[in-house]
Amino acid sequence: MSRATVELDFFGMSKENSSSSSKSKFLNRQRSFRDIQSAISKMNPELLKSVIASGSAASNKSTPDNGNQMSSNKSFSVPSTPKQELPPFPALPVYFPLPRLNLENPLETAPLTIFYNGTVAVFDVPQDKAENILKLAEKGISKTVVEPVADPRTDHQQKLLESLDGDLPIARRKSLQRFLEKRKER
Amino acid sequence: MNNLNCSGCGVGGGMSDVVLECVMPYIHDPRDRDAVSLVCRRWYELDAITRRHVTIALCYSTSPDRLQRRFKHLESLKMKGKPRAAMFFNLIPEDWGGFVTPWVNEIAESFNCLKSLHFRRMIVKDSDLELLASSRGRVLEVLKLDKCSGFSTDGLSHIGRSCRQLRTLFLEESGIAEKDGDWLHELATNNTVLQTLNFYMTDLTKVRLEDLELLAKNCRSLVSLKISDFELLELVGFFRSASAIEEFCGGSFNEPDQPGKYAAVIFPPKLCRLGLTYMEKNVMSIVFPFASLLKKLDLLYVLLGTEDHCVLVQRCPNLEVLETRNVIGDRGLEALAQSCKRLKRLRIERGADEQEMEDVDGRVSQRGLIALAQGCLEIEYIAVYVSDITNAALEHLGAYSKNLNDFRLVLLDQEHMITDLPLDNGVRALLSGCEKLQRFGLYLRPGGLSDVGLGYIGQYSRHVRWMILGSVGESDEGLLAFSTGCPSLQKLEMRACCFTESALARAALQLTSLRYLWVHGYRETSTGHRDLLTMVRPFWNIELIPSRKVPTVNNAGQNVFDDNPAHILAYYSLAGPRTDFPDTVKPLDPAKVVAA
Repeated sequence: MSRATVELDFFGMSKENSSSSSKSKFLNRQRSFRDIQSAISKMNPELLKSVIASGSAASNKSTPDNGNQMSSNKSFSVPSTPKQELPPFPALPVYFPLPRLNLENPLETAPLTIFYNGTVAVFDVPQDKAENILKLAEKGISKTVVEPVADPRTDHQQKLLESLDGDLPIARRKSLQRFLEKRKER
Repeated sequence: MNNLNCSGCGVGGGMSDVVLECVMPYIHDPRDRDAVSLVCRRWYELDAITRRHVTIALCYSTSPDRLQRRFKHLESLKMKGKPRAAMFFNLIPEDWGGFVTPWVNEIAESFNCLKSLHFRRMIVKDSDLELLASSRGRVLEVLKLDKCSGFSTDGLSHIGRSCRQLRTLFLEESGIAEKDGDWLHELATNNTVLQTLNFYMTDLTKVRLEDLELLAKNCRSLVSLKISDFELLELVGFFRSASAIEEFCGGSFNEPDQPGKYAAVIFPPKLCRLGLTYMEKNVMSIVFPFASLLKKLDLLYVLLGTEDHCVLVQRCPNLEVLETRNVIGDRGLEALAQSCKRLKRLRIERGADEQEMEDVDGRVSQRGLIALAQGCLEIEYIAVYVSDITNAALEHLGAYSKNLNDFRLVLLDQEHMITDLPLDNGVRALLSGCEKLQRFGLYLRPGGLSDVGLGYIGQYSRHVRWMILGSVGESDEGLLAFSTGCPSLQKLEMRACCFTESALARAALQLTSLRYLWVHGYRETSTGHRDLLTMVRPFWNIELIPSRKVPTVNNAGQNVFDDNPAHILAYYSLAGPRTDFPDTVKPLDPAKVVAA
């Protein structure tokens, strides 16, 4: 690659792989799509919506120089029905390199690719922003991503209250919970 | 002889001790007793000697020593430990507290007259049960370990062996480590006076049929039996022997494809309170012969649909208590309103969320509540999970349900659009119309009740002593308006609310009768716990369970970590701060908070 790349193991895939320091490592495509789907399903949909919405404005002309890339003005979608309207993005090959920090120039941006709900988004982000995004994804907290948040706890509570579920999930009694679970097994 | 030692004994010379001693035993209501004990020292002493029962609403509000010094001759004691939220998974840490050990130690030493013990939501160890059995076994008549945990069937064996005078053994919903079924054998062999045995909802599976049959043979006064899952066909012999039984819950139908077999089950003649686990539509007819005698029906753990509920309740004109899931639906409530005019208590729990698991009709809304209000005029207790609601429904309850003393409504979050929100006017109508209301629960969603509505609750809830409020109000102003009212409110629980710690603290100070406050989920601010300092005052313990991640299983069956927001618990105590905090619970230390 001609420019410095931030290589971050976004979904923790490297834990499952045997150690390899190969820079460009192509995993089995099917398996990793399933893993991506399950990892993304754990993420908060509000978070992803906001990330993708902000990313699409910023990076609609980014093209990572990898191997089999599509040109950026060709729209392509993975065959599954997205739940909401999103601008089309170029499809990219699955690519999960091992964690490696970019020490040369921390401010330089690099592509961050996110697969979500049948669409793909690419963002040019500097390393610190990328780390923020990864931390958020790990925590699965609903937050606006792009700017650093002044009072994360207040925003958290705000989002907690404003999300579709309304608030804390209504709890169910233990005895009833156990009955409903046992009933499924009958 | 007139004994005038007592100052303040009223005009005309006062009352002799003899008279007072004759009258005192007839005064039972704890609030009356409280008033009596405040008149003068002599009356205080007489109350202390003659009081039979004490309920300690929170075990940390006093100490065993204080109890012993005041009420040496106590015959009956009830106390509670963990916050009510402990009945749900993952809200209260398992080791939160509420240990019975210090109390049992004191009971073993001092309370010579104690015959009845009721521990609710507390942690009990086998060693506690062993000590109780050896020190009080000879006189103990009632033992209730109600939603407790921490003990095993070994502890129960000690009780069974030594407590030959036991009339009541109550273990419902307790978490018991099961080693074997010997405890029941001990009980059945050593006891002849047992009237009530309850191990419902305990998951005890090693109970032996021969011990149940032995119990029926030896304990001819057995009136109430509630057990864990046990095939009903095996109990045919038991039911034949236990002819005095009036209440039975539990059992199981493991052969639902052979409903004809269950015709062999003949229930005892006096049975009038019933709950059959996993009962399905095709065996429902076994209760028809005596359905008209039924006063209490537990359908929480049955496998019936909406129509089945209608068919069943129409056969129960004498029904006074019904517990079921929301599968009963509005249609079932309409049937209830038509047929069950004597209904006093109705509890409708939340069924499965998945569409396939429950009847499509299985939802309760304003339609069912309005029918209920108009049809069941004697209703005293309603707890209901609704899918939709209107102000009119609450207005009907306010107009018709004049005996209502306990009302709890939870609005489920399945429907995005609710017919009629906010519920300000309906809540006002219900509270002003139901003058006997003492317990009130309202769990809504953002927009469900405005600040004005929250103010109405304060204004119109004159006699309400306990409340749980979830997701109500819009801002701190609502809470502050609320807290200028509620003159009788002693215990307040709040969940998923939008109030800041500053408002919570100020509200606590304003609520004149408040002695217990629990809050889970509130609006966090940068000043955070410093604002709680506003409510620091003598005898007021403040505890925090900081926000944490709780392992749970989500709808997709995956192990995830849920965010569990902070809890605030504050209560009056004569015993000072607790000394048995687990790691997850922290006392509010003003010095540390100020320094932070």
